[in-house]
Amino acid sequence: MTVTVRIARTSGEQVFAVESLAQQTVLDALFYIQNELDPTVSFRCSCRVGMCGSCGMVINGKEGLACRTSLKPLGGDVTLQPLRHVPVIKDLVVDMEGFFSKYRMIEPYLQPRSEIVAPIVAPLDSHIRQEIDLGLECISCGLCLSACDVVGMVPEFLGPAALNRAYNLIADVRDDKTEERLRVVGQSRAGVWQCHTHMSCVEVCPKNIAPTRAIAHLKRTLIRRRVVGPKKRPIPKLQRILQEEI
Amino acid sequence: MRTESVDVLILGSGGAGLFAAIHAYDMNPRLKILVVTKGLMGKSGCTRMVQGGFNVVLDPADSIERHFSDTLKGGRYINDQELTWALVHDAPATIHELEAGVGCFFDRRPDGTIHQKAFAGQSFDRTVHRGDLTGIEIMERLRDQVLARNIAVLEEHRAVELISDGERVMGALVLDIRHGTFLGITARATLLATGGGPTMYKIAAPSLEKSEDGLALAFRAGVLMRDMEMVQYHPTGLLAGAGRVTGSVLEEGLRGAGGRLYNAQGERYMARYDPERMERATRDVVARAGYMEIMAGRGGPQGGVFIDVSHLGPEFVRKTFPGMVQRVQDIGFDLATGPVEVSPTAHFHMGGVAIDPDGHSSLSGLFVAGEDAGGVHGANRLGGNGVAESTIYGRRVGDAIGREAAALPLNPLPDEKWELRARHHARFWNTASGDNPAHLLTELRMLMWEKCGLVRREKDLLECRTALAALAERVEQISVVGAKAYNLRWADALNLESLIQVSQMVTESAVVRTESRGSHYRDDFPAENDEDWLKNVYLQASDEKPGGMKIFYKDVIFSREVPPQVREAKSHEFSQHMVQR
Repeated sequence: MTVTVRIARTSGEQVFAVESLAQQTVLDALFYIQNELDPTVSFRCSCRVGMCGSCGMVINGKEGLACRTSLKPLGGDVTLQPLRHVPVIKDLVVDMEGFFSKYRMIEPYLQPRSEIVAPIVAPLDSHIRQEIDLGLECISCGLCLSACDVVGMVPEFLGPAALNRAYNLIADVRDDKTEERLRVVGQSRAGVWQCHTHMSCVEVCPKNIAPTRAIAHLKRTLIRRRVVGPKKRPIPKLQRILQEEI
Repeated sequence: MRTESVDVLILGSGGAGLFAAIHAYDMNPRLKILVVTKGLMGKSGCTRMVQGGFNVVLDPADSIERHFSDTLKGGRYINDQELTWALVHDAPATIHELEAGVGCFFDRRPDGTIHQKAFAGQSFDRTVHRGDLTGIEIMERLRDQVLARNIAVLEEHRAVELISDGERVMGALVLDIRHGTFLGITARATLLATGGGPTMYKIAAPSLEKSEDGLALAFRAGVLMRDMEMVQYHPTGLLAGAGRVTGSVLEEGLRGAGGRLYNAQGERYMARYDPERMERATRDVVARAGYMEIMAGRGGPQGGVFIDVSHLGPEFVRKTFPGMVQRVQDIGFDLATGPVEVSPTAHFHMGGVAIDPDGHSSLSGLFVAGEDAGGVHGANRLGGNGVAESTIYGRRVGDAIGREAAALPLNPLPDEKWELRARHHARFWNTASGDNPAHLLTELRMLMWEKCGLVRREKDLLECRTALAALAERVEQISVVGAKAYNLRWADALNLESLIQVSQMVTESAVVRTESRGSHYRDDFPAENDEDWLKNVYLQASDEKPGGMKIFYKDVIFSREVPPQVREAKSHEFSQHMVQR
């Protein structure tokens, strides 16, 4: 089957005819175009199996990873545009600093409580474990930021991925910065109150994470604090592993 | 040309590069550290792609001595035992730091302690994991920790040359991919952590931007290399027709959990190759068995064999291996309910730069960690020891750099020297019409797969040598067109150059090793020959003949454990031998 691929390049739209083979993806089409039709087309990729989040783009109007979007179901016409709400470097390559500048604002790294000197004991059915599990596998691909209408209207808005990470850290009993994190996510322009629950982020997330859920949890936590005050945090049990070796 | 001076230059942003940056910084926060990465920080490279997990001794019923012995046995006893010991010894502390300091969260047992699953070639279930896509958790969190520190990062910059005077490495010439311009970086300490990645094979697993750059750069700078013939083929690479998903790995945990391998005749063929361990034999054995089946005409429609885990129960498979189920589903099959066609796929380079346990190479100022280094795994790497190596050595070598870098000298280079070298790496615009590097890459991949792959013989290797020399000449005819900024054809040309260089090293080392050991299998010398070949093949750029190499081999030093087959034999004199090529 011949597919017409329209690429929104920095120099304007360019159209290519690509023969699509079974099991090929948008990424395969891009390689064919770059190798055989026009060597100057630029795109970014790395792992090609949906783990690195480098090849996010807008495919027929919707955010997707090029490596995990099969060509066949897209039909005969495929339009490729760079991600929205981040600066374009060239063609389909965007400057992910537009994503990470927001991500950095929430101090995305664990800042452990002083008691956490070893892995915690977290039984499978425990609340601790379930909360941590839900939002862990974010690959920072930026699809959610691109799909979020609010980011388009309120540039200061931290966006789905950053807020999802903030919630993970707030829910993580190991982290010591709950108060500070809640202050950041509670800000009026940048924070959770901007989210209108459109769920566009949920729709495009290639890892089936629901940032909207994390944002709703953050809103509830902020409200509970205003009304009844902070919850006491449990001190988790620690796993002793080969103490003499460490 | 722009130039810059830093204390520490780190090439690569996988597990080794980022952990080293964090440790060097924490050891001495006054150091000016710069991380240079070919893709995006923490996203490019192969630690990110780790599926199965991380081998570590956590259970009191296990022991680091057992992890050590398993690793030597898996490596067929040509590991550098001091390097292997550092790996197993530091593993518990590394997992500890990843969880309690870096912020990772690995899967748990029902009682809430860290879960460890079964991998091949291990006497104890010791593989820590996060589902079946462990690399995401490790790299996202290491990246977060880099963001927490004053560590500079240049993304989409690739090193094209180490600056060396034959005794010291003084920094690197770096290409800014986004702008198509060069940057000369002088450093007191340079860490090579670009992560190997044998993508010079028709079917290959690593991320697509990988091209063994680190090994090519090191060799050209005159660094001593070892075990270059040892390329690991993973037994279960996915086959997805013309799609680039082809070659990506279906994780080892599938075999660990009881997955079975069948040929097209429905025969569980491992019974003929390793009746005792069957599918849980080490990767070298299982990959070669699959290849032999395919070559004997017992392959499937895509020229592969089949992995089947459906007998474990669809629910168990979906819950335990969600990432693998999804990957197979993407190409139109269901891993939970039926067989999936797979092939051996080039996966990992055991060979690399010869280092000591603190990552020092043969040149002062150059440190190496992760897949760019050789010796930890010997002739075959155990599944789960790869991400262990990159993170453990990242930490260790980061500490060493933190201690030593400030005292190392800084030698700025004259502008003319930088300019001269930069012109060399941009020479592809001067050719009016010539070869398409993408086509040459395809030729290289076919050549290496057929002549220097899973089954090798002298005749093929010699043909491979000749063909590689011809390909190397054609690199000079490549023409690159268009603007220099984000030019993917230029990237192809540079990748090809690295891959040919490394392919030559693999071929020459494979010619020398006239026996079969681990992942290196010689059809014409099919037996493992402990009498003559408990040795390592070393290789270094020739200082007499430009472009040439000297090759020599030395006895393995059994500093901690004498292999069982040697214990009985009489002790032999330490020997070494050298040839020039």
